[in-house]
Amino acid sequence: MSVSIVHTLKVLKPAAMIALVALIGLIIGYYANAMFFPGTAPEQPIDFSHRIHAGDNEIPCLYCHVQARRSISAGVPSVNKCMGCHVEVATDRPQIRLLANYWETKEPIPWIKVHDLPDFVHFTHKRHVQADIECQTCHGPVETMDVVSREAPVKMGLCLNCHKDNEVQHGTDCWTCHK
Amino acid sequence: MSKVDRRDFLKLVGAGGVGAGAGFMLAESIKHPIEHLVPYAVPPEEYSPGVATWYNSVCGMCSAGCGITVRTREGRAKKIEGNPSHPVNQGRLCALGQAGLQTLYNPDRITAPMLRSGDRGSGSFTQTTWEDGLNRVAERLEDAQRGSGDTYLLSRGVRGNLDNLLGLFMAGLGSENLLHYDFDHPHSLYAANLRTFGEELLPYYDIQNASYLLSFGADYLNDWLSPVHNSLGFGRSRQGGDHDRGRFVQVEPKMSISGAAADEWIPAQPGTEGILALGVAHQLVASGTYTGEDLAAWTSALAPYSAASVAAQTGVSSDTVTRLGNEFARATAPLAIGGGATAGHTNAVDALVAINALNYLAGTIGQAGGVIFNPQPVTGSGGHSRQASYQAMLDLADNARAGRISVLIINNTNPVFTMPGAARFAEALESVPVIVSLSTFMDETTALADIVLPSHTYLESWGDDIPQPGVGFSVAAVSQPIVAPLYNTRGTGDIVLALGRKLELTDLMPWADTEELLKFAWQQIYERDGAEAGGDFDAFWRSVLQAGVWGENVRRADMPTIDPGVVASLGVPEPVFVGSEIDYPFVLHTYLSTSMHDGRGANLPWMQELPDPITSVVYGNWIEMNPATAAEQGLKDGDLVQVTSSEGSLEIPLLVFPAIMPGVVAMPIGQGHTEYGRYANNRGANVISILASEVDPASGGLASSATRVSISPTGKRAKLVRTGGVARQLGRDIVQHTGTDAGTAGHSAKLNSIPIVVESA
Repeated sequence: MSVSIVHTLKVLKPAAMIALVALIGLIIGYYANAMFFPGTAPEQPIDFSHRIHAGDNEIPCLYCHVQARRSISAGVPSVNKCMGCHVEVATDRPQIRLLANYWETKEPIPWIKVHDLPDFVHFTHKRHVQADIECQTCHGPVETMDVVSREAPVKMGLCLNCHKDNEVQHGTDCWTCHK
Repeated sequence: MSKVDRRDFLKLVGAGGVGAGAGFMLAESIKHPIEHLVPYAVPPEEYSPGVATWYNSVCGMCSAGCGITVRTREGRAKKIEGNPSHPVNQGRLCALGQAGLQTLYNPDRITAPMLRSGDRGSGSFTQTTWEDGLNRVAERLEDAQRGSGDTYLLSRGVRGNLDNLLGLFMAGLGSENLLHYDFDHPHSLYAANLRTFGEELLPYYDIQNASYLLSFGADYLNDWLSPVHNSLGFGRSRQGGDHDRGRFVQVEPKMSISGAAADEWIPAQPGTEGILALGVAHQLVASGTYTGEDLAAWTSALAPYSAASVAAQTGVSSDTVTRLGNEFARATAPLAIGGGATAGHTNAVDALVAINALNYLAGTIGQAGGVIFNPQPVTGSGGHSRQASYQAMLDLADNARAGRISVLIINNTNPVFTMPGAARFAEALESVPVIVSLSTFMDETTALADIVLPSHTYLESWGDDIPQPGVGFSVAAVSQPIVAPLYNTRGTGDIVLALGRKLELTDLMPWADTEELLKFAWQQIYERDGAEAGGDFDAFWRSVLQAGVWGENVRRADMPTIDPGVVASLGVPEPVFVGSEIDYPFVLHTYLSTSMHDGRGANLPWMQELPDPITSVVYGNWIEMNPATAAEQGLKDGDLVQVTSSEGSLEIPLLVFPAIMPGVVAMPIGQGHTEYGRYANNRGANVISILASEVDPASGGLASSATRVSISPTGKRAKLVRTGGVARQLGRDIVQHTGTDAGTAGHSAKLNSIPIVVESA
């Protein structure tokens, strides 16, 4: 009795075909998600425009993100801070009314994080702001964006290259960031 | 496969669809989860996200009253450390204090007021509102005021103004039944000091300046009075400054942590430590160092305690007794302390008076390195006067059984767990019509409650504290909320004030909340101290909150003297043990676990996984037995044995331990919970449950070391989880030592060489 490999293939063929189609589907599905739902520019509770604030009106980043120079996190401005201007400015616009609603109920605004580093990375804004690193180096040209999206690839390479170029002391040691 | 039929086509479409879906989900799953950036609507002043804020407060894990400083970020407590400005712990903190965070974030906390919905003890409760819960309690209290029964309040040992508030509340209800109950409260030490010095206040034992410390059973590095402070003193006496290295001798039947750190460990027959103290005193007087006017009286009082007679009673050789006496007499700053098992026998008060006498004869009363008297609490109460001795708790149980208690309010104490089974406390509670518990956690006592009004953890509530024992001068500390309450709970003080308002006791207790009460009470301290320095009360209050502690580094002017009657009544009787030597051949030595304390730490995972410093066991408990005794009994390490006393029995793994006297078995307290949350339940056995209901008549305290037990094999083996492998060096020379002759070598030669005496039975 001989065993024919052709026979085996014949039996497997439909299964192999199905697996192949499923694999192609998998790849298409993966990239479709990455292309159409990148999640790098999430919809925020208020359509806040950095272009208007930081671009057109040239408000410095650190005016609102005031913690960046003294804390590990840059922080987002409190509703209180927004209302500092918007009691007077553009009070008739629907998005500002939305803001005023939050203010009246003293509710915080649940902004969605656009730039988020994994928990195993220790990054501190304070050090970078104090070293005069432009915010745009990591955050991209935010002052041109109506909807903030994650454009600069904030991956390990970006950190290391910058640390090397600027000859940061212990800048390439593992425990500088992973501690 | 040139032809694709309908079936195959459908299969392929299906496969493609599933594949695409899976691919989509794969991409979705590797995305960062959505995280929110939620700013404050109105941020608190000086708040920076990402920047830690430290708040000072008072530790609530045991009764030592250490100062803590808690690191918070974004309103969450992250880390607890010792407050460097607090004179008790001076920046240090023990493991239990560090684990305080796990009481705050414990998943088994009671999160809202509850009413019992099933049978009592069935553990079924339904949540309710504060308004409803408080109304129900107020109604019951009003009924009790009209009716014949009495209202009782049984609290954990609280001090400061919270104690005063509870007192006012009970006075308003027309009841005098305010009791505090802590298993480890040193009743016999208070009673001994009252008898010796006429003062019911613990003195400060100045270990750091002592050159020779003779400790009778007091595990001062682990659980005795203020272990963190004692540990500091230990370190300073050993290594600090330019004085001679302090020498420590520990007398106890089972080597404790302090025993392991001592220069010499002396096992004396259980309950005879006081007799040994008198033997040392006898030698001290005989050596001629004591020259007081009443020398003749002391000489005659101590005459029966010659070295030979003491040796016969204690099992310590007469040479050792004589040597201890000479060493104590010659030391520049000798100090004798007593606690632990010595304070847990039926002769405890007599033994502790003997130890006080030893200090008196050595002339160290009121001296540096000796016994220094503390001033009276500067505000609020020191807490001792209301502490219920074991006898008082037995009386309470009797009153419950007789139907004389109509409402019992229990505040964060767990007598059902920490009372011996022989007291049948849980059974007595069945006769109480209404039990209200203010507990933060469900525990064995709260499980029997009808109404549960959960209180905050100490990290969420206001309070103040006067550490007992103090440090020789006036100290008071404020405990402030570190974080906003996590759940729908309230501070104990606020609950009592709310009940007061409902019962129209606002004349007595006019304060809106505990914070207001504290500010009112602390005016006293402000007027005494802060007003002179200038500034208004608010500035003073802020500075106290910032520092976390207030103190006045002035020693007390009037020093109590020894009561002349002590000499005449000096003497330590033989201890009484429950159970005959034939039926119950072993003396059961119990001690507080380093990590569980009296059981309160058992629901903290960090404490469960902290290895016991002496045996290195984690998760669970054990019974210790001398190797010689174990061999005699045919028992091996890891055997599951049955421990039987006259009051009950339990099963527990055997741990063979060389540094315990033959004839004594030892068990740590703290495990064996049944209703204390997921981390505590069903681990080990509760040794308190088999203790005999024996009291020291002089103090009313429980004689926790007065039980005899028998040990029998069950034939089963149990696995003890140990971090250490072998307890021997096996020639690895891990512990360095320079000499072995403990009797003749100098101090330096005895570094790390603890003579372990294993006498054959």
